[in-house]
Amino acid sequence: MRKEAGPFVITVFTAPAPLSAGPVDISLLLQNRNGLEPVLDASVSLILRSEASGAEIQARPTREWAQNKLLYAAPVTLAEPGKWQLDVTILRNGERTEATGTIDVARAFEMASSYWSYIAFPPLIIVLFVIRERLIRRKAKR
Amino acid sequence: MDPVAAAVIASWSLDPKLLCLLLALAALYLRGWLRLRIELPRKYTIGRLAAFSSGLLAVLLALASPVDTFGTLLLEAHMIQHLLLIMVAPPLLLLGQPVLPLLRGLPRWIFKDALGPFLGCRELKQLGRTLVHPVVSWLALSAAIIVWHLPRLYELGLHSQAWHGAEHACFFWAAVAFWWPVIGVWPSRPAWPRWAMIPHLVAADLVNTGLSAVLCFSDHVIYPSYQLAPRLWGISALDDQSAAGAIMWVPGSIAFLVPAVILGMRALEPGRARTIRPMPRVKALRVSPRLPWDLLRTPILGSILRFRYFRRCVQAAMLLLAAAVAIDGFFGPQVAPLNLAGVLPWTHWRGLAVIALLMAGNLFCMACPFTLPRDLARKFAPPRYRWPRQLRSKWIAAGLLAGYLWAYEAFSLWDSPRWTAWIILGYFITAFMVDSVFKGASFCKYVCPIGQFHFVHALVSPLEVKVREPAVCGSCRTHDCVRGNHLQRGCELNLFQPKKRGNFDCTFCLDCVQACPQENVGILRVLPGASLREDRPSSGIGRLNRRPDVAALALILVFGAFANAAGMTEPVMLWIHQWHARLGFNSTVPIVTALYAVGLLIIPAILASASGWVSRRWARAGASWKDLTCTFTLTLVPVGFAMWLAHFSNHLVAGWSTAIPVVERFFSRVSPSSFPQAWMPGWLPSLELIFLDLGLLLTLYAAWRVAHRFANGERMALTVMSPWAGLACALYAAGLWIVLQPMQMRGTTMMHGMMH
Repeated sequence: MRKEAGPFVITVFTAPAPLSAGPVDISLLLQNRNGLEPVLDASVSLILRSEASGAEIQARPTREWAQNKLLYAAPVTLAEPGKWQLDVTILRNGERTEATGTIDVARAFEMASSYWSYIAFPPLIIVLFVIRERLIRRKAKR
Repeated sequence: MDPVAAAVIASWSLDPKLLCLLLALAALYLRGWLRLRIELPRKYTIGRLAAFSSGLLAVLLALASPVDTFGTLLLEAHMIQHLLLIMVAPPLLLLGQPVLPLLRGLPRWIFKDALGPFLGCRELKQLGRTLVHPVVSWLALSAAIIVWHLPRLYELGLHSQAWHGAEHACFFWAAVAFWWPVIGVWPSRPAWPRWAMIPHLVAADLVNTGLSAVLCFSDHVIYPSYQLAPRLWGISALDDQSAAGAIMWVPGSIAFLVPAVILGMRALEPGRARTIRPMPRVKALRVSPRLPWDLLRTPILGSILRFRYFRRCVQAAMLLLAAAVAIDGFFGPQVAPLNLAGVLPWTHWRGLAVIALLMAGNLFCMACPFTLPRDLARKFAPPRYRWPRQLRSKWIAAGLLAGYLWAYEAFSLWDSPRWTAWIILGYFITAFMVDSVFKGASFCKYVCPIGQFHFVHALVSPLEVKVREPAVCGSCRTHDCVRGNHLQRGCELNLFQPKKRGNFDCTFCLDCVQACPQENVGILRVLPGASLREDRPSSGIGRLNRRPDVAALALILVFGAFANAAGMTEPVMLWIHQWHARLGFNSTVPIVTALYAVGLLIIPAILASASGWVSRRWARAGASWKDLTCTFTLTLVPVGFAMWLAHFSNHLVAGWSTAIPVVERFFSRVSPSSFPQAWMPGWLPSLELIFLDLGLLLTLYAAWRVAHRFANGERMALTVMSPWAGLACALYAAGLWIVLQPMQMRGTTMMHGMMH
């Protein structure tokens, strides 16, 4: 989502992709309209509102939480799938800027699928163990 | 510094998994390099170590530095990342000649037993030679570079973490194969002469140049994601793409052509052809038999542990801590997250105890505060009676353990500081009373449920109090380790060191270490879980695998691990409350009681009995149902321990900071205005799954080895172990489900909330 509001260009990133219900990470990049320089000294707050149930989540994204230190990020837990309205409020030098958008949230991501490599690890080791046993047996036969 | 530049430089993405992997590789290489440097000082120079370390650093820069963070916003950054993975890290790692150092750095059992058969396999050697053949490796690298730069696949990598990882793996491993013949990695023999590497490198540069030219001179943005990404510092997407092409072209060509020039100059050097020979063939890696690593012989820690009053000091510290927890539990605020008794025992102590079991051994019993008062009292009034012969088993302790696990859930002990304080006080009184009447460590051996938890799980610990050299004990006539002497008491649990096997019943008190006049007892490194397969009688215990009481104890602990962890998951709690509402009880105690009776006693007994019965039908003649059931039940301990470890480490990591304000409140007697909330880092579920994986694998391996005792041949062994393997897999599946559920963070300010 990208919006131009007041003196800023606001880009919102969400993770994971595609965005699904559950714990998610919401990050914002604030840039000056002129020159697209990143803005690092603003105070940002978010309100997420589910269009289906009206559930509301407030968050205060910070640069400390973000991996990319040009962004402001906050972890939030989206309880349900559907459309969520996102209200962004930016305070900088006493000036207040607001922007609104919508994000689509898919059904809860199956956690097991994101950990498939850990679940596949024991079968892989078992297969390697079987091969090892066969190699030992073959060597013993010679 | 400009704040934007500072922010860019600070944008690291330090993934603990990557850091652990790189640190492990560095440690392995260093260990092997140090050993090889003694044997082959001319081959393993400081330069090799520096090259390998720089290669690891290049991988870190590629995957964790701002280059990775900005890769999704700027194609230039992404291109630098790929260059590091293809042209910088692989040649540097290979210049370290890593094969032998990494193999020699491995623990001996991994190198010899686990990898040995693979290293000697003809087909695998042939496969390796094929993969690093110049033609094959050139084709592999060229295909990787071209295919992954096709817009559709490149976009796939940008939008999926998994595909991005696959892309990087393709680049890195194809580059390793490509650079292998160029560097001439020892001990493989080159397929082609050295001069033939010049066309190999030049041909690779041609591919690189062609692709760079496409990026540089294209009049449109090739990858749509960069068109949509916010433009930083006013750099347009097309300019970014051209710059990325230039980065690929110039440094890429340098990386390919400079080695080609060096090789050409060397080939033209007069007499060089005669002097350069491939490194000598290695006949076989010599792995000399060594004494196992001994914790007591480590420089500083060993001296501390050998100090005569070390245990007393640790016990005294734990006694003070237990007193503080009990006082706060009785007189402090009756809100678990605000009270030492609600935080320290349930969040911190349990987590630290299982981590100690994993990393070392039974350190809790070593520091046990409960036996300190009775030791002091015994100075004045020694006990006169021996523990009754009929009660010399683990049945009482197993019953107490089952009762404790039930009470924990039924009465929410974690949520009641006063109950916790009563339990601590009760423990002190019981230990004092039992050991005031009965000789030896009767309380530890026959009563203490916490001790049994540690005795059973220390069977999978990597350290064991053990005789250093058995031959020395052969000439011993005084047996001070068990009988003691005028200076030092012997083992109170009657474990005679030369005949002791495994950690079972060992409290790590180190009395035997102090008593042995030959200084022949150490804390030695052992293979985790090896004693689960032990079939010989052990001093003071007998045959562990023939004792139904020990099997019952192990079953309660294994199934208790899963029941205890499941009790804090959201679906189980909802289920309990639904039944509570449906049946109209005043409390959830009857439902929890029924659940624990079924889950902790009835189902384990039925499953173990049935598995034993099935194994008996397939085992060779003469094997009894009792022997089979008791033996195989012990092999389930690792998967149960893995669940305890996953569960308690979850509490410890998520709630470690909760101790700070509670300790502050205890000393200042002023309630702080805010408390840190439990926070679960993203890597924690992965760590818990690794624990479960390793637990399952160790259980299956132990069962496989044990099955051979009851079978003629491998096929029969497989059928004999199959019901137990099925049971272990079912427990593992239950563990996976538990780990991936939202959890109630008990004993923290998040205790009424749910977390993943």
